[in-house]
Amino acid sequence: MSFKVNLKVNGKEHVLEVPAHERLVDTLRYRLGLTSVKEGCGRGECGTCIVLVNGLPRHSCLTLTATLDGAEVLTLEGLAPEGKLHAIQLAYLETRGVQCGFCTPGFMMMTKALLDTHPEPHQEQVKEWLSSVLCRCGSYHYYFAAAKLAAKYIKEGKIYFDEKQVREKYHMKVIGR
Amino acid sequence: MSKPDYVQIVEEMFTKTKDKPTKEFTYLGKHVVRWDAISKITGKPLFTADMINLFKNAVFVHSVRSKYAHAKIKKIDYSEALKYPGVLKVITARDIPGINDVGYVLPDQPLLADRKVRFIGDTVALIVAESLENARDAGELVNVDYEPLPVYTDVLQVMDLNGLTEKEHVLIHDERGSDVLSRYKIRVGDVEKAFKEASVVVENKYRTPMQEHAYLEPEAAIAIPEPDGSVTIYAKTQCPFDTRKAVSNVLGLPFNMVRVVAPALGGGFGGAEDVGNEIAAKAALAALALKRTAVVLHTREESIIGHTKRHPMVAKYRHAASKDGTLLAVDADIVLDTGAYASLGPFVGWRAVVHSTGPYKVRNARVDLAVVYTNRVPAGAFRGFGNPQVTFAVERQMDLLAEELGMDPVEFRLKNILRNGDRTVHGQLLDHGVGLEDAIKRALEISGWSEKRKLYSTLKGPARRGIGIALMYHGNSIGAEGADFSTVSLIIQRDGSIIFRTGLTDMGQGSLQGLVNIAAEILGVPPSYFKIEPPDTAATPDAGPTVASRSTAMGGNATLVAAYKIRQRLNKLAAEMLGCVSPEDVVIEAPKVYCKDQPDHHITWKELIEQTFWKGIPIQEFGYYRAPPAEWHEETGTGQPYFTYTFGAVVSDVEVDIETGLTKVVEATVVYDIGRVVNRTGAEHHGVGGYIQGMGYALMEDTVHSENGHVYSTSFSTYHIPTGLDIPERINVDFVEAGFIRGPFGAKGLGEPSIVAIAPSIVNAIAHAIGSKQANRLLNRIPATPDFVRGVLKRAGLAR
Repeated sequence: MSFKVNLKVNGKEHVLEVPAHERLVDTLRYRLGLTSVKEGCGRGECGTCIVLVNGLPRHSCLTLTATLDGAEVLTLEGLAPEGKLHAIQLAYLETRGVQCGFCTPGFMMMTKALLDTHPEPHQEQVKEWLSSVLCRCGSYHYYFAAAKLAAKYIKEGKIYFDEKQVREKYHMKVIGR
Repeated sequence: MSKPDYVQIVEEMFTKTKDKPTKEFTYLGKHVVRWDAISKITGKPLFTADMINLFKNAVFVHSVRSKYAHAKIKKIDYSEALKYPGVLKVITARDIPGINDVGYVLPDQPLLADRKVRFIGDTVALIVAESLENARDAGELVNVDYEPLPVYTDVLQVMDLNGLTEKEHVLIHDERGSDVLSRYKIRVGDVEKAFKEASVVVENKYRTPMQEHAYLEPEAAIAIPEPDGSVTIYAKTQCPFDTRKAVSNVLGLPFNMVRVVAPALGGGFGGAEDVGNEIAAKAALAALALKRTAVVLHTREESIIGHTKRHPMVAKYRHAASKDGTLLAVDADIVLDTGAYASLGPFVGWRAVVHSTGPYKVRNARVDLAVVYTNRVPAGAFRGFGNPQVTFAVERQMDLLAEELGMDPVEFRLKNILRNGDRTVHGQLLDHGVGLEDAIKRALEISGWSEKRKLYSTLKGPARRGIGIALMYHGNSIGAEGADFSTVSLIIQRDGSIIFRTGLTDMGQGSLQGLVNIAAEILGVPPSYFKIEPPDTAATPDAGPTVASRSTAMGGNATLVAAYKIRQRLNKLAAEMLGCVSPEDVVIEAPKVYCKDQPDHHITWKELIEQTFWKGIPIQEFGYYRAPPAEWHEETGTGQPYFTYTFGAVVSDVEVDIETGLTKVVEATVVYDIGRVVNRTGAEHHGVGGYIQGMGYALMEDTVHSENGHVYSTSFSTYHIPTGLDIPERINVDFVEAGFIRGPFGAKGLGEPSIVAIAPSIVNAIAHAIGSKQANRLLNRIPATPDFVRGVLKRAGLAR
């Protein structure tokens, strides 16, 4: 049995026909090609599939697309307009914690959810929220620092950055001490 | 015999720069933003499973796995499965065109089980279907008639720790006539005499767990049949050339008919070796049989059951020391559980025995080590490769000895560590580049060891603090295991941009950035001029495997050689163009190129490169480097097992709740002598990430098997890895740069060393926190879970 679902994903309206058992992670990855959404466990344990549904963080592997008629979904692809990078992305870049990059989208979406609800989070809140995502390379400390730096940027009104300028400034450049 | 040019070049560059502080280099040892950082923060890199979208009309391959951990296969009936909707084909052992084997070191592991199954993850058939769901469903309909055999999940059911003799049992590998995979030993000096003369002897048994890599990206492979009968495979593999060899073997095709590309990898840690070969071979079998693109995609459960783990160890150690704290002798029996198949077990066992006496001056040693089959999930390569197991035992023993002697654990270690001019237990002379003492001193200073060690000893009450130290050394690269070489390709394009490629993979560690930093430093061009292409067996020379902390040391040397040769040619041409006195005087600071005494009169990098095309000067190189030959005498355990060693000191500062047994690491300090820092960001990542993974090993991780060989811990709610809430508040990372003449600018590897000494430093800290002699002896296994620590406290009479 299939369901007709109106879904707004990263600001774009979609009308989808999905079987009852289709998971949001599969809709996003395989129907819409949004492969920043990862599947690390399929059981809501690793957090790499976290996206925002109506502004709140959800494990897309535990969410059935058929239940989302009329919902709004945000993935990393939609965090900033085309050609721009969001403050969260820049902060993750500048704090240089990115390693294999498989968990990073989940962390950034969780950071978005955190900062939307707690614009000036204290360390314990950052740790608690971001502990929803697992990282085996061990970049947790860096990602906590990234969340705080992102909060600072947003507070200063710096939300979007030109991707080209960021690339020129940072791509394979020496940073820090 | 004269030295090969690549050795001369590496030594020349080291000698020229050995006194130059790292901070004076332009790119080397700096925080260079890694080449893929911007694409990763936008979520764009394609991991294997992300590429499924790119292929229309793919088929999906599901592995039907065993119901028993040990059984004979009498009959496989898949007629019902074939009738299931969407099922296109069922593949069993008899359908394999080449050789049905994916054993890594020796041919003991069928890709598809035929005669018997030896663990719960053995694949008996592959279902190929139009969708993964249908393939999985149809898998339930494959009917296998098994004759169950006794299951062994504890290595001591197969092996007696006393004397290391094999026990009477139903052989798992009956075709081999024994379930002892391999044995290694060390026989140095006169152990009996040393024990007789010793004033202190410490004996204890140790156990370490079966750690799971738990990389966040589950395995995936996509195989595409090509018109000429060849196959292209995108797969999660850390060793594309090994994967190609395994697939060629299974398909019965020459190497050039199998092309393996490694896309972005979501972690490896050694685990993406064997399994990469298996999934690639499964996908390739289906692709060639169906003439359609074929996909293998593991769930987390299949990943945990289907890929190799860290070898569990059971060991008995006896150490002797004199009254003044001189280490006199080591006597040990060690058993490693390699699970159902050898995988890299023979090499893991060898590395374990090489490191079995720690980074100390040991003149008398008897060590026997056996690697033994059981019906567990196979154990293979995992960051550290046998060394974390023996180092746990050795470093616990060192603390016990210090306690017996009434010495501070640091003072005792300092009396016995390896320094420049010392010989290892194998008789290898370490004539330079041993930075262990400096590493210890820095770790003590950063961690505030002396004050804390004193202060914590006085604390009472339920929340105790403890501080512990552990040391390590780790042989770089593969040593006497096999042909130890690596390669890169460096091609300067006509516009001056550069393509860098190697068959060494990046699994997330960022080592390729280090290689680019080396090339950039030598050529005098910024790293941003480089583009890194993914490993592709059709586009790069065989680079050897990405294992054994060899990317920086071996790949770094190959890069250095390639860049050096191109630079020599460019210097000559630029000197002509600019009229410099000598090619040596040419300065390249791209985009500027000038003679060193005339900085104002310059040409551009682009102009120089353009001229090479007119003058017929090649500006591409395949850099090659082969390690100095290693040497190992089987009967005595002596020789030169590795060409160099990375050294390190780890201090852990913990809090132990005496009522619950829960340990929390509050702060950690790691200091490693890596010769020279090449890629600072990557080196720091290893320092921190290795600590966290080692902390998981110390406190929470084990792949638990039931008595009948089923795996209990097949998810992240049953297999716990450290989360953001478990990590120490701070992990201090620092480096000693003692240099190494055969390393690129003196550099050594850090990937594996970074996990080796973590667990013992934490358990030594727990022992300090508890402060009981009896508990100190009982803390002889990891993971030191709250249950275990609470049990120790009870047995030591410290808790009810």
